[in-house]
Amino acid sequence: MTARFVAGRLLQVVPTVLAIVIIGFLLTRLAPGDPVLALAGEHGDAAYYAFMRERFGLDQSLPRQLAIYLRQVASGDLGFSYVYGRDTMHVILERVPATILLTGTALLSSLLVAIPLGAIAAARPHGARDVGISTLALGLYSTPAFWVGQLAILGLSLKLGIFPVQGMTSAGGDSTGVLRAWDVARHLALPALVLASQEIAVLVRVTRSSLLDELPRDHIRTARAKGLGEARTLVRHALPRAMLPIVTIVGARIGHLIAGASIVEIIFGWPGMGRLLLASLQSRDTPILLGIFLVVSLTVVLVNLLSDLAYAALDPRIRVR
Amino acid sequence: MYDRTGHRRRFSGPLVLLLVWGGAACASDRFARDPATLVAAIAGDPGQLNPAITTNGGVHTAAGLLYDGLLALDDSLRPSPALAVRWDVEDGGARYRFHLRRGVQWHDGAPFSSADVVFTFEQMLLRYHARTRASMASSLVSVSAVDDSTVLFTFRRPYAPLLQQLDVSEAPILPAHLYAGRDPLRNPVNVAPVGTGPFRFVSYTPHSEIRYAVNDRYFRGPSALKAVVLRIIPDEDTQVAALEAGEVDWLFTVPGPARRRLARDSRVRLVRSALSAGGSNCITTLGFNLERPWFRDLRVRKAIAHAVNRPQFVERVLFGEGRAADAPISSGIAFAHASDIAVPAYDTVEAARLLEAAGWRRTGAGPRIARGVAGVVDGTPFTIGFKAMPSQIAYGDLLRAQLHGVGIDLRPEPLEQAVFAASVFTARDFDTAIGAYCNGTDPEIGVRRMYVTSSIAPVPFSNMAGYRSAEMDSLFDRAGASIALPERRRLYHDIQALAVRDQPYVWLVETSNLRAYSTRCHGFSVSSHFAATAACTK
Repeated sequence: MTARFVAGRLLQVVPTVLAIVIIGFLLTRLAPGDPVLALAGEHGDAAYYAFMRERFGLDQSLPRQLAIYLRQVASGDLGFSYVYGRDTMHVILERVPATILLTGTALLSSLLVAIPLGAIAAARPHGARDVGISTLALGLYSTPAFWVGQLAILGLSLKLGIFPVQGMTSAGGDSTGVLRAWDVARHLALPALVLASQEIAVLVRVTRSSLLDELPRDHIRTARAKGLGEARTLVRHALPRAMLPIVTIVGARIGHLIAGASIVEIIFGWPGMGRLLLASLQSRDTPILLGIFLVVSLTVVLVNLLSDLAYAALDPRIRVR
Repeated sequence: MYDRTGHRRRFSGPLVLLLVWGGAACASDRFARDPATLVAAIAGDPGQLNPAITTNGGVHTAAGLLYDGLLALDDSLRPSPALAVRWDVEDGGARYRFHLRRGVQWHDGAPFSSADVVFTFEQMLLRYHARTRASMASSLVSVSAVDDSTVLFTFRRPYAPLLQQLDVSEAPILPAHLYAGRDPLRNPVNVAPVGTGPFRFVSYTPHSEIRYAVNDRYFRGPSALKAVVLRIIPDEDTQVAALEAGEVDWLFTVPGPARRRLARDSRVRLVRSALSAGGSNCITTLGFNLERPWFRDLRVRKAIAHAVNRPQFVERVLFGEGRAADAPISSGIAFAHASDIAVPAYDTVEAARLLEAAGWRRTGAGPRIARGVAGVVDGTPFTIGFKAMPSQIAYGDLLRAQLHGVGIDLRPEPLEQAVFAASVFTARDFDTAIGAYCNGTDPEIGVRRMYVTSSIAPVPFSNMAGYRSAEMDSLFDRAGASIALPERRRLYHDIQALAVRDQPYVWLVETSNLRAYSTRCHGFSVSSHFAATAACTK
């Protein structure tokens, strides 16, 4: 059943992705701003612009450009970047690992921090710990990442010298193996912390409210009546069922996380896909933009599929069909 | 990541997750770099490192150390020998003969010759380098190799600015043996480049860093530095923080609010330069759309010029870094700058008088109202749009305040660069707009395009105002075809007098660029080879 469910969901991905490609193509083409002007800058002449337009196929009609692009995508070719002069797929894929590392670390650390904090807050609603944790979550939620990032650099990097200011590795460093991994980890810590801060805020609140829904239920009362301790009741009986909304939220926030990563990548000079997206938007490098739309939308669709499958694993009453 | 062979190296990552929260403060000394390595911050990923196929300032900043031009420009922007050791100007400036340096080698060991110069011009610069193509292609008859070490440029008529257009940032020379017969836009050598410059390519990790090592065979002698790392840091504030933390040694730009702080920091020195990635000798200029009925009246343009307080722009927008523009051509082009020409002085009383005379009447505290203005319905308030790129919207805010004082309601509208270019230069849908016109090293490069009729075209930073004057066109044609400096000086003086008389623009401020560097290093130059003469100690 599960295999059929997965196959069915994967088939649904095709029209979704097709719609994303077509809408993305039309949006980037119809938005004001000419890629050739952005590329050639202020020093060309009409003949030069015409030459470059022809070179990149921009002299064709819009439907024809779309048809050519769809044919390329169908054959696994995302085109040729105007700015980078290389295959789009190649340019995007070399940025993906850094973004996965940053967003993955941020997501993992936010789960590791937020779920215990949410549970502590829910254990005694409106108590001192709950008020403290909820206030912290609200504060983090309402603070923009670019500001937290700059403050983190000023405080933790410049004043205390704990973390490097920017980059993914030390400039000009030649470390390899474990030393290189250590170097990357030092550089990763601060951007991942800043990116995680917003996720922590959301997940703490979701965990708390989800647990508060669970705690008055019969099975919890039974567990307590059996003489189970409060902590054990919370972790063994309330938390697994409270995980369902958390899984939903995590799936739904993947897009958010990637958007937040763009800002964090710019502040910390992290060489990921978000920076590529912004640079390509400014230079109207349409093939790269569309390629990133495709990669991000596929990721979101697949993560949502995974969260559907996780539902069944977490709650035996739910069956995928 | 690309190494010297142009092959990708794999990202080594999965171990990292386990180590992230493991006490990052320790062991930072293990990652300390060699003191003879200079780390410079650049703002954008260049994407590729072939400056002969693009005018993108980011590529030229990133790749400048790898290459040489036929000539170099000194800090006063005068031409001096580089790959060419001497040159003869023949036929009144219609032919230029360059004698090349002998014994120069490419970084891969192949010999450099005149064939490389001819190939670079014919197959790259004159096809893909927008500035060279636009300025030179229509006048040039041929570039030919007389022998292995002599190159001849032949023009249809005398061509004055050539010697200013042959330095590494305008015309870098690339190796024919690696580019011949291949598409220069897709050649893998673009990300594993070979040049003749003071540094050779080691590796390029997109969006992260570019590494160069000293070229021990450089014809001027090897640099004291062992290596240069160009670190890609997009955020200007983070660049400053990285300099303060000792992670980088050189910044190409310093954001205004950080200037005072860095000036007080004993570990940092600041140096001024007329050069920037977008060009040199830039004047931030307000342009009137002369197709709008209210700007056809010279009195209105003069009134706005009188209402503008230039020193305030220097103080409040540039944080003191620049000077009020006192002529249409930058003071950085010393031979052409006409400092004796009187641009309209700040005088709000005169501005009000001119506006009244033009039919714009003040009735209360609000904007002036049209009464008998040709092409404008009576009672129309004097409200005008102002388009600017986000980096220049601060000019709009101050201009709005200044023009409010004389009864003009200015409405600033920020537009990102690509939209600004399309809106102002292609659609011509604007009242006023602002642009940094970089005059370059010769008025033919960056001034001509603002005034001649043939430059009214959908090209960014061409003739924004839509100014047409047969007299101006003729003056520019004569100035561009003359190589006698006194005559050119006189012609550019006349050009500036005419520009001030007709006032299609208001020349606000000459901007300068501030570089910052760590005091552990010294000996920088402000040219594209900024690090060639530098040395760093611990």
